Amino acid sequence: MTRYILRRLLHMIPTLFGVLLITFILFNVVGGSPASMSLGKNASPQSLEEFDEERGINKPLIFGLWTTTRACPDWKADSPGGRTPPRVLAAGQAFAVPLHFPLRPGTRYRVRLDVAAGKANTAEWTWGPTNALLRRAVQVASGNGPQVLDFATGADPSREQPPTFSVAGAATLEGCTLRRRVRHIADSQFVHFLGQMVRLDLGTSMATNQRVTTMLKAGIGPSLMLTVPIFLGEVAIAVVLALFCAWQRNRWTDRTLVVTAVVLMSVNYLVWIILGQFVLAFKLQWFPIWGFESWRYLLLPVTIGIVSGLGTNLRFYRTVMLDEMYRDYVRTAYAKGLGAGGVLFKHVLPNAMIPIITNTVIALPFLYTGSLLLESFFGIPGLGGMSVNAINSADVDVVRGIVLIGAVLYMGANLLTDLCYAAVDPRVRLE
Amino acid sequence: MNSVQTTHEPDGTLWGSAWRDLRRRPLVRFCLGVIVLFTLVAAYGEVVYRWNRLRDVTPSYQKVDLERRYLPPGTAGHWLGTDNLGRDVAARVVQGARIAFQVGVVTALIAIPIGVVLGCLAGYFGGRADDWIVWLYSTVACMPGLLFILAISMVVGKGLLGVYLGIGLTTWVGLCRLIRAEVMKHRDRAYVLAARSLGYGDGRILFRHILPNVLHIVIITFSLRFPAAIGTEVFMSFLGIGVQGEPSWGVMIGNARLRLWQGVWWEMAAVTVAILVVVLAFNLVGDALRDALDPRLRARETT
Repeated sequence: MTRYILRRLLHMIPTLFGVLLITFILFNVVGGSPASMSLGKNASPQSLEEFDEERGINKPLIFGLWTTTRACPDWKADSPGGRTPPRVLAAGQAFAVPLHFPLRPGTRYRVRLDVAAGKANTAEWTWGPTNALLRRAVQVASGNGPQVLDFATGADPSREQPPTFSVAGAATLEGCTLRRRVRHIADSQFVHFLGQMVRLDLGTSMATNQRVTTMLKAGIGPSLMLTVPIFLGEVAIAVVLALFCAWQRNRWTDRTLVVTAVVLMSVNYLVWIILGQFVLAFKLQWFPIWGFESWRYLLLPVTIGIVSGLGTNLRFYRTVMLDEMYRDYVRTAYAKGLGAGGVLFKHVLPNAMIPIITNTVIALPFLYTGSLLLESFFGIPGLGGMSVNAINSADVDVVRGIVLIGAVLYMGANLLTDLCYAAVDPRVRLE
Repeated sequence: MNSVQTTHEPDGTLWGSAWRDLRRRPLVRFCLGVIVLFTLVAAYGEVVYRWNRLRDVTPSYQKVDLERRYLPPGTAGHWLGTDNLGRDVAARVVQGARIAFQVGVVTALIAIPIGVVLGCLAGYFGGRADDWIVWLYSTVACMPGLLFILAISMVVGKGLLGVYLGIGLTTWVGLCRLIRAEVMKHRDRAYVLAARSLGYGDGRILFRHILPNVLHIVIITFSLRFPAAIGTEVFMSFLGIGVQGEPSWGVMIGNARLRLWQGVWWEMAAVTVAILVVVLAFNLVGDALRDALDPRLRARETT
């Protein structure tokens, strides 16, 4: 058994890597920088850069040495008549690379200007501390074509003059890019992300400025208080009804229940919640409408949760039971004179346990996210309501944290299912 | 084992017998009628939408008329009443049907090709390809369902595209799994060996010979996925990350919910009934299809 568990754990490594990869692709590659999404359109480039820095987004994606900086967004001149016309420099005029905020101290940068000049020019780069002499001037033999300057900032770049390009003759600038050199080739978003995961650091919420792990810890209790009763109630009621259906199979009681189940599962989840809250809590005042103060506040959401999931569960368990009902051992049990109750509870139910266990264990990880809607509708401070808020306010780290934990729990549940199989069913061999 | 392949029906194919089976049941016939009606309503909604856009006028389902708000159903010209801004509820339900239909079809068009192609490749070639594809789908299966869909659409941006991608890119897993298992069973059947000994290439065998034999799984999956996609879209639009600025059913529920407390029940009722009827019809037809085409799927169905 121990070897089996170990091997299953080993099998989980590629899946875990896959989950991390999908999350990374979703949030870093497709999502890009969430900075402007969360800070708004009018955020200053500096605050955007700080946001990115904190989350490791201002680095190369997978690997690389150079990365963009928000201090100087890339620009490239369009064809004539476009929205960003080329910039014309008169003879002897200097062009200082426009910076939104001071560069980092002690960092290497590379600036590149695309220059078009009529004929060969002598050109010069200057940069450095403003109060003293310029640190260095590089003489460029020909001022035509791409002009690249590698430079490093000193201890206090706010007092330094940005790289300034000057040509002897007239020229036009067609593009400008500024790149920052990262520490080493693996100093990338992906490595940063993996590092975070190894340290079990899920980041910081942008909305509340709390650690995501702290928020998850606070939210899991209320979520479980809501979902565990729903889950247990649903399984218990559905299994009992399914046994009843199996007993009454193909009679009108069974058929009515089946049709009811399909109708139940066709009613939209939202409608259950809205009508439940409106009719039972508001009109009839049987339940409190909103809040999380005592167990009475959980009654209505739990009831709604059970009813809305009952149809699907009943159908599933009925199929499972009916699969068993036509087996030979059931006929034998009836033939030897066992009553319906004995057959159902002593023979059918134990044999149907395997799919029931699979179905319930695999549903376990979904308990932790709570119910997205029930929580926000009834004001239960759990993870479901938190997810909805986080998605609405594009709070990327919170969403990412909840998704990741959910995926990991699902993998754990998968393992647990297999172990349950092995424990319950003697036919399953641990090979 | 191979003789099981041929149908026992005296005449007709699997599809023929399934169709006869379905037609015999009045409830299923009724549901098929509902689905046809839903399609027609959606098409009508599309025509209205295009026509209004072409003429560049505000359509009736967007026209704000505060004089005529909260009209109860049965009012002349507004037989389902009007909402809080005086917009016609019936016209908005029709537009909702248009969007729901689009979501069902587009998400199926994303999910089904992915599921079918990957499932076929994994099941037919086995080995390394199978390992990779199984890895891919078991990874995607690990992601927490609805939340993952919401995360995708959050990243892609609010709007229909996010809904399409969110649902489409997550729901292919179940289909892929079923197709893979089924293709594996067919891989070593006599007709495949015969085709191979005739010198046909893998592509031809896979897509011309095996695929038609597993196509019923696609049909069943589609009919059961369609209502699920509609439900998800309603959910997402309700949360405000789905359809923007158009009357989707989810948007309407979100709007009607606030008016319910003032006693304005008809918008809520209209949307609820519309969703219930459409989803129920699809669910019943899907069940019937499954029973007619492949009863074994019932037990194996995972999601």
